[in-house]
Amino acid sequence: MARSIDIRADLDRPDRTRAAGRRRSVLAEDRWLIIVFLLPTTLFMLLLLWLPFLQGIWISLHNWPLMGEPSWRGLGNYRDFLNASYFWTSIEATLIYSLSTLFQLIVALIAALALKQVFVPAKSLLRGIMLIAYAMPPVVVGAIWLFLLDPNLGMITHHLLEFGIIDYPIYWFADNTWAKWMITLVASWTFWPFMFLIILSSLQAIPQSQYELAEVYGANLWQRFVTVTWPNIQGAILVVVILRLAFNLAKIDQPFQLAGGGPGYETSVLSILMYRFAFMSGDFGMAFTVGMFLVAVTLILLAPFAFLYQRHLRQVGR
Amino acid sequence: MTDDRSTPLQKVLTYAALVVILFLVLVPYGYVIVTAFKPPYEVYEVSWWPSEFSLDSWRDVLGIYHFHVYLWNSLLAGLGSAVLAVAIALPGAYIFARKEFPFREPFFYVIVGTLVFPFILLIVPITIVWIRIGLFDSFLGLWLAFQIFAVPYSMWILRGYFARLPRHLEEAAQIYGCTQFQAFWRVMLPMAKPVIVSVLFLAFLQGWSDFLFSNMLTTGDGPRTAAVAIYTSTAGGERVDWGPLMVMTLLAGIPPVVLYMFAQKHLARTFAGAGH
Repeated sequence: MARSIDIRADLDRPDRTRAAGRRRSVLAEDRWLIIVFLLPTTLFMLLLLWLPFLQGIWISLHNWPLMGEPSWRGLGNYRDFLNASYFWTSIEATLIYSLSTLFQLIVALIAALALKQVFVPAKSLLRGIMLIAYAMPPVVVGAIWLFLLDPNLGMITHHLLEFGIIDYPIYWFADNTWAKWMITLVASWTFWPFMFLIILSSLQAIPQSQYELAEVYGANLWQRFVTVTWPNIQGAILVVVILRLAFNLAKIDQPFQLAGGGPGYETSVLSILMYRFAFMSGDFGMAFTVGMFLVAVTLILLAPFAFLYQRHLRQVGR
Repeated sequence: MTDDRSTPLQKVLTYAALVVILFLVLVPYGYVIVTAFKPPYEVYEVSWWPSEFSLDSWRDVLGIYHFHVYLWNSLLAGLGSAVLAVAIALPGAYIFARKEFPFREPFFYVIVGTLVFPFILLIVPITIVWIRIGLFDSFLGLWLAFQIFAVPYSMWILRGYFARLPRHLEEAAQIYGCTQFQAFWRVMLPMAKPVIVSVLFLAFLQGWSDFLFSNMLTTGDGPRTAAVAIYTSTAGGERVDWGPLMVMTLLAGIPPVVLYMFAQKHLARTFAGAGH
């Protein structure tokens, strides 16, 4: 093992003709630096992440009440969850809530492309305004939307009634059809600036010369997008889609604040369902069973994008 | 910059998009600001201008709800989170970006892969452990808990940035007589200023905004943050005191926005290479 590092490190080294003794001491120093620098990160991740996670798997195999002794259940919790009436309700809510990533991407891409245009004035002010929602805590944004969409005194409900778009006040977050879409829309409104930020940064890094070249070849607006812009931002887009999909699946504060997982289980995305089992019923075994499903759903939803990203990295030669 | 050959169509589409997006972003905030300055009795009717300009809601927020205490807690939570994230993630990220060692890539993915990990799974085990080792209801406990998210995130950003710096920088420094550590400290760190500022900002945001850990790991007498206080007011049953609540959203929402204004130049440079 050590041998292979030596060789690679040697090839990498411009001064490899220097005395072997000096080189050896540099390598020893290198090794110490690697160990000392990696230690805090590694220890931290093992103790705070992987250990509790493994403990979670263990808990999911038990009947594990808040008070009293846990008892072994094997896969019983998993069987119960699959057969529960709320299983598919929760999966459906989770998938709808995940669509938020798509909505965010559409708005973020449009906004980033608009701000990339040379003729737009006051760019940094506009960029700042667009990032407001993301900089604010999600529960703050949630509180604002609870107020605006309140059926009785909310500004939006009021204007919708006034313009005759709706006939009677809708309890947006307590309505069987609306609730899951409303939490999805509010999440989109809250988090799209994150995608916008990364896509815009990536757009701004595209060398102007590439556009000039495309123009020399007579490319129109669309052709320039397809041949220059898209290939340059593809990687960034895959990264933000992966991150936002994962973050959204783990999100519970804002949707829970808005709809509390209800009505019934309508807005109980898997993460909220887990929260309900753990902190409202005190059934930790079931909570972690739901958690394991959440991990599975996360992996399944991310897999295609992770695959595309790997392919992208190979294409750009990394 | 001067050479603008945009077509009229391009301009129309661009401005149309900007107008729609700005409308969707600004109208909600506009109404929140108006509401914050309404007299209490007017908060409950929809109007776009207060009949008289009132600071009653602001007085209640400080006088009745003692919101400044929660804001102070949020500030401390954010600052600690930021410092700790850099301290834990920076050395590791540097090594992953610039040194060769066996199993580097799989090892890196074990760490950064946790980023896509539903970390709400960890709330229960961590709460239990925190109570046992006395970190419950303390700032230290909060700061450490925030790192579960902040560390992998920071590692990912930091490593990407370090990897894009020119090769052989350290060797050049060593030729001038620097040790490995000095090469890191005196050459690499100053070059990494944008990414360090970005990580500080994002980890601060994590601490300032977090609800899940801040709610689970603190009690009403402990380091309760503003985000938790706001959540509690909206979940507080039938009657929500909307006027003061809108003031609270402004008080808790504006500081990170202002910080963002300072950090945005660095953020743009940090993320310019994301995905490459």
